[in-house]
Amino acid sequence: MIVEFWGHEFKINIFFGVLGGFVIAIVSSMFGFGGGPFMTPLMAVGLGLPMYLVVGSSLLAIFFNTLMGTMRHYQFGNFDLTFFLIMFPAAIIGGFIAPQIAKRISPIMVKRVAVLGLLILALNLLGLY
Amino acid sequence: MKRIWVSLVIALSATMFMMWQNGAFAEKTKDAAPAQAATAADQRTVAPDAGASPTILIDKTSLSNGGTITVTGAAPAGKPVYIEVWSDDKVRVSRFDAEVDKETGKRPYILYMTDEMPAYYKIFMPKDRKETLDGIKKEGNNWSVSKALKDLGADIAYSAPTKARIDRYQATLMGSIIGSRGDLLPQMDEKESKKRSMQLIKARFRAPDKVLSADVEVNPDGTFKAALKIREGLAPGKYSIVAVVDKGVKSQPLTFDNKIEFPNMYLNNAGTSLNLIWPFLLTLAISIFGVLMGAGGGFILNPLLVSIWPLPHTVVAGTVMPTVLFSQASGIYNYSKIKFINWKLGITIGMGMVVGGFIGPKLTELITLDQYKFVFGWILIILAGLMFWQTTPGYLDKNKKEQSILKEFRRRAEETIKAKGK
Repeated sequence: MIVEFWGHEFKINIFFGVLGGFVIAIVSSMFGFGGGPFMTPLMAVGLGLPMYLVVGSSLLAIFFNTLMGTMRHYQFGNFDLTFFLIMFPAAIIGGFIAPQIAKRISPIMVKRVAVLGLLILALNLLGLY
Repeated sequence: MKRIWVSLVIALSATMFMMWQNGAFAEKTKDAAPAQAATAADQRTVAPDAGASPTILIDKTSLSNGGTITVTGAAPAGKPVYIEVWSDDKVRVSRFDAEVDKETGKRPYILYMTDEMPAYYKIFMPKDRKETLDGIKKEGNNWSVSKALKDLGADIAYSAPTKARIDRYQATLMGSIIGSRGDLLPQMDEKESKKRSMQLIKARFRAPDKVLSADVEVNPDGTFKAALKIREGLAPGKYSIVAVVDKGVKSQPLTFDNKIEFPNMYLNNAGTSLNLIWPFLLTLAISIFGVLMGAGGGFILNPLLVSIWPLPHTVVAGTVMPTVLFSQASGIYNYSKIKFINWKLGITIGMGMVVGGFIGPKLTELITLDQYKFVFGWILIILAGLMFWQTTPGYLDKNKKEQSILKEFRRRAEETIKAKGK
């Protein structure tokens, strides 16, 4: 498939992209997280698209997954309204505070801290410490 | 600035709704409960004859988010006394049986599910059972409810969960792909249903000390006394207490009321009450960190939620997912305004993802909490690897170039919008 973006044309293997999206969507809706951090490398490295094309389009693709996953979880009775109403405002407010902080700190530093934090959490979940 | 006000209004109205739902504005119902205790007090407290039903008394009829309730009573002398306590409130539990059957050597792949599991269930037993109970606790995750009840002699007291109606579904590969639960199998007989309810007890309460405890002091003359600790974070509403000395030989049930008041909230689907301030702060902190590190907060939030609170992983996955719907939608809107979305690409891959999103939530039901945590651990390791790669010099170099192209496009896009505006 040929993707056209701001006057540039990119040729991609769409079969690979759809299959990858399918697998990521299963895992992400099964465990209840957004698939963004996995979709971006899939499209940037797997399909060879530039970052500025990937950010918006991957968000659109993930939105389909989130919408469907939400409906299915609701259908299976896994949605708790009270709990949602506790977390939803917090997530929205967090989304407004974060950019204010982001201006003041280095994104690479944050990522390194995140790597460490994720590893600790992962080892804890695997029961290794 | 306007958007901050909008978000504040959303937050406030959500809080008001929760308080209303929790009955914070409702008129408090008058306590009519002491009358029941009084009638119970009229009954004799002398030990009844052997074979007779035990009698019980409780010192209070109302608790506020847990507490200690003292049960006294009399049973035939020399008999062990078990006290069964359960809540009226029911929750849904499911368990997927994919273990190899010892008799047939096949994997059954059957999903057991009930909507009628008591949100709280516990059997308090004589103090001399403590050693056996400690042995069961040492078995760790491999403990079995039916074996534990048998070893402790507590199977005679096990009755409230057997009344739950359990449905079972035969899962098939095809069924899983199209996202159905499978075919509903015929109802089980009483014995089979009891056995399966014990497995569901384990699926719901996880650890032995949540359902079993050795607190009842039985005197040689048959009188007994127990201080039942009802923990925090349970369902509100009516709880029933029954003393059991033998199969079918039990006291009249007494009831008490557990009150949950704001800011503690009861989560209907999770069957847990919690102080809502903590999850709110946790979500706030993690969503901020999530935005900063460039990955959704769900990666950190979900494993923490299932680790800190006794929340089922199905409810956590099903409730965290919708919280990002709004931010994703507004992100798409903002990108589309400056024409930064390739609709053809996004929708084509989105078609693959919509099918994946259809299957995934079904699979959440089929795994246990431990499997959920284990797989999540590996997902986080992969994510950590990806994030580490994003901090390597090669990646940063490439990113810098692309960022400058991005800025250039964005500038042009904004200019076109401005030009159109004029």
